[in-house]
Amino acid sequence: MINHVVIVGRDAPLWLSANVVQFALGPAGVTVTAVELPPHAQPADVCVTLPAIEPLHTRLRIDEGRLIAGTRGAFTLGRRFVDTGGRTPAFFHAHGSNGSRIDEKEFLPHWVRARRQGLDAPFEEFSLTAAAASAGRMLLPDAAIDRFGFTDYGYHLPAIPYAAWLRQVALRRGVRHHWTGHLDVRLEDHGGIAELLLEGDRRVSGDLFLDVTGAEALLMNALEIGRESWRDSFAVDRVMSAHAAPVSPVPIYSEIRAHARGWLAMVASQVCIHVQHAYSSDLAPGPAELAAAAGIPLQGVVVRERHPGRRQRAWEKNCVAIGDAACVFDPMHFVDLHAVQAGLVHLLPLFPVQHDFSVERDEYNQNVRSAFERLRDFQSAHYLLNRYGDSAFWARGRAVAPSAALAHKIDAFRARGECVDYEDEAFTIDEWQSLFIGHGVVPESCDPAVDRTTPDMLQGELARIRGFIRQKVGEQRTHADYLREVSQIGGRVSGA
Amino acid sequence: MHTAPLRIVIVGGGSAGWMCAAACAQVLDPARYSVTLIESDDIGTVGVGEATLPALQDFNKLLQIDEAQFMRETQGTFKLGIEFRGWDRPGQSYLHPFGAFGQLWGGVEFQHFWLRARQLGLDPPPFEEFSSAVRACARNAFEFPDTHSVRSTFYGYAYHFDAGLYAEFLREWARARGVSRVEGQVVDVALDEQGDVRTLTLKSGQQVSGDFFVDCSGFRSLLLGEKLGVAWEDWTDWLPCDRAWAVPCERSADFTPFTRSTAQKGGWVWRIPLQHRTGNGHVFSTKFIGEDEARSTLLASLDGRALGEPRLLKFRAGRRVQPWKRNCLAIGLASGFLEPLESTSLFLIQKAIQDMLRLLPTPEARGVDERLVGEFNRRSDELYERIRDFLILHYTANRRFGEPLWDHVRQYELPESLRHKLRLFDVRGHVPYFKDGFFSRDSWLAVLFGQGLMPKGYDRLADFMAREQLDAKLRDLHARVWAEVSAMPLHEDVVARYCSESRFRQAAS
Repeated sequence: MINHVVIVGRDAPLWLSANVVQFALGPAGVTVTAVELPPHAQPADVCVTLPAIEPLHTRLRIDEGRLIAGTRGAFTLGRRFVDTGGRTPAFFHAHGSNGSRIDEKEFLPHWVRARRQGLDAPFEEFSLTAAAASAGRMLLPDAAIDRFGFTDYGYHLPAIPYAAWLRQVALRRGVRHHWTGHLDVRLEDHGGIAELLLEGDRRVSGDLFLDVTGAEALLMNALEIGRESWRDSFAVDRVMSAHAAPVSPVPIYSEIRAHARGWLAMVASQVCIHVQHAYSSDLAPGPAELAAAAGIPLQGVVVRERHPGRRQRAWEKNCVAIGDAACVFDPMHFVDLHAVQAGLVHLLPLFPVQHDFSVERDEYNQNVRSAFERLRDFQSAHYLLNRYGDSAFWARGRAVAPSAALAHKIDAFRARGECVDYEDEAFTIDEWQSLFIGHGVVPESCDPAVDRTTPDMLQGELARIRGFIRQKVGEQRTHADYLREVSQIGGRVSGA
Repeated sequence: MHTAPLRIVIVGGGSAGWMCAAACAQVLDPARYSVTLIESDDIGTVGVGEATLPALQDFNKLLQIDEAQFMRETQGTFKLGIEFRGWDRPGQSYLHPFGAFGQLWGGVEFQHFWLRARQLGLDPPPFEEFSSAVRACARNAFEFPDTHSVRSTFYGYAYHFDAGLYAEFLREWARARGVSRVEGQVVDVALDEQGDVRTLTLKSGQQVSGDFFVDCSGFRSLLLGEKLGVAWEDWTDWLPCDRAWAVPCERSADFTPFTRSTAQKGGWVWRIPLQHRTGNGHVFSTKFIGEDEARSTLLASLDGRALGEPRLLKFRAGRRVQPWKRNCLAIGLASGFLEPLESTSLFLIQKAIQDMLRLLPTPEARGVDERLVGEFNRRSDELYERIRDFLILHYTANRRFGEPLWDHVRQYELPESLRHKLRLFDVRGHVPYFKDGFFSRDSWLAVLFGQGLMPKGYDRLADFMAREQLDAKLRDLHARVWAEVSAMPLHEDVVARYCSESRFRQAAS
């Protein structure tokens, strides 16, 4: 039996992994040893999560209120994309549905048709979630909102306190722990990992190893598993992180600002504004340009290299790579923590039941590859479709060849507004719609099913949707009030 | 701005043709699309007793068809699943229900708890007894799933009906909503200079022109196959059956809420209970058994007097490699055939119609958009391959040793996609999951367990439950399933009350 799992890594990905494995498999007699390397997270770093993290936290019995209070994080309803050059209008990618069904049909084709009939309202005007975000309000569904559509949220969690929080939960639940500044890997004769050699002549052995060491991928590299580089698909090779003074009220969305030499993300928590700047090193902006794009004084600046690409096999021998060790993503859309989660969630139902786990390994490698490629495609689309002008940076983005799956997806959307829904998508159809339309891809035709809705009915329904959004947004609590409230009630619920 | 309507011409008037015509009439704006269906009274349709999947409810809902009326007019009955007799080995049988086995506990799939209980020596009741649908079938009982808000295990239902009557029902329905019907046999198909289908000439000399053609001409595949030359991909190496004898017989006392499929030496026999009679047929492979012997086998298997002489149908497993090419889209047998072992024929038709309606050319842009054709064909390929793998599963895992057909299907090389799934089940009871739910995990479990496969291990996520709790929860669920099913009315009583013609006449007079 595979009963001893050794997880090597650092920062939030290490401790999220340790918690997930311990919680799910501890009752099956699996013990978890975390080997912690010196952290890389800096005060400027933040984990921007997709909505999927919330149900995972809930399963781990991590109380949301305590987490927000403990990390001084914030909620997010989506991202706002801004063209600082002013060429294209800003748009929202919200974690919720676009519009609401009209005449028992999907919203998008109605919107396309209404535009043909002269409607001049942006797509996001019909998103309840985007409207709440713009108004700085949290959005909590009630029965009427559930009938209207769906809405969800993610978090902005400052990386250092989030890791500390997860670490404390893991240790309290019985995860064993070693700290080491340095690590050597000793391989078995048949090529798997035999044991890890830590500082001070300590040795840690196990049945299964998780490599959560980030892009360094200490274990995968010891096993000599190569990478498929995605350099040709992504121009960004540097990410600068910094922080700036917090603002009040704390925005409930992140903002991504495109400028001629890259893009800048502004992510708010209660602690500070976390700023990320992504660019190509050969086209690096000068300090003045950067300061102008951020518009606020920056502190704690760190610059890191970024080399997107996928490990050829995420699971090799007795070692599974999780997070950056398995796949380094472009920073666009903040998918890093989601990739950690995807790696773990795919692993649990395939956790070995016997010593020969080649079938599980094949299945896992196939599944995560597909999941990573769909995430990558969502990021790629953002660069491919950009209308941010003729600067070398954005021209590079447009010149990249999409995967066949993405090319087909863009084609079908452009032709009909049809969103090709592959098996392993992380982003919802509504999120893809926001992305496409935000970048100016408006379908050339629409689903014939909406032809029969009369123009009067269509106008009436669009007015009803706007009215509903106005009313519901007005009823919501402000983000500031909500942060205060959950931080206070956190802890009354059973939890960490 | 006035644009001339886009002319849709449907060739063929069986289930595929009329389902398509009816859906077009319901969904499309008559000011923008005209719909004409050409059918010949001289060409028979394949339609026999038809068994369906629960998804047909969605199709009928799209058409806003009243369920009781539809069942009355098509002699319909309810279907909770399919019984497979002798597929693993003679004398053994199992049921593939439209519904779940057990429940998720702590987010973990039920089979893992059951497998664990077995390994712990808790001697749990048989797996299939944790399905309300399976147990209802054992009693010939039926009840609508939403009758009570709380159910021990979820289930759905489909229908059996007379496919000929269904086509007639939809014909009336569609014609009342503006579909033109042209009687005649297509003798010539003319293309325009680009190679698109443009004009059909009928035996009478009448010509029918159109912008978009739907080929529902059956196996002949008159437009897509014969005229546009789309190649056929043959799957008979995996699915060797190529003939069926079909014959109805008198209704028997055994009024099952399920289809029965009984394995035979050279294929299998279906039994579909309708209100007025029972539909039967023998699907077989001429490589392994002669037509005469198959005919005798069918007649010997009937549980009522045969009504007429058996009819012989010829087919082959496979599909057209591009179901949509240029301005011609094939639906039903014109696009492919998979034996009706899992009642997928109408489902394939329904899915093709639904996808077609979303991706159809518009009157403004008449030319066919290859981007949309590509998406239609992608979805179609995916569905055909998934069904193919699932059908092969029924054959490959048999223990009918010494019978040439069954030895053959047990030994051939499987598609890699299926082989991998079988290994995952063998090692740990893992079953595939597809986003669109087709086929579902429960369907895979039904057939895998039913064919006598037993996993060596189970998912360790199921270990969180203490042994005593596991034992108690299993016994409790098992008892609740049975208690609920015991209270269900009999299938024949529900049909008589809900949708029988005699009841309707009584009530009307």
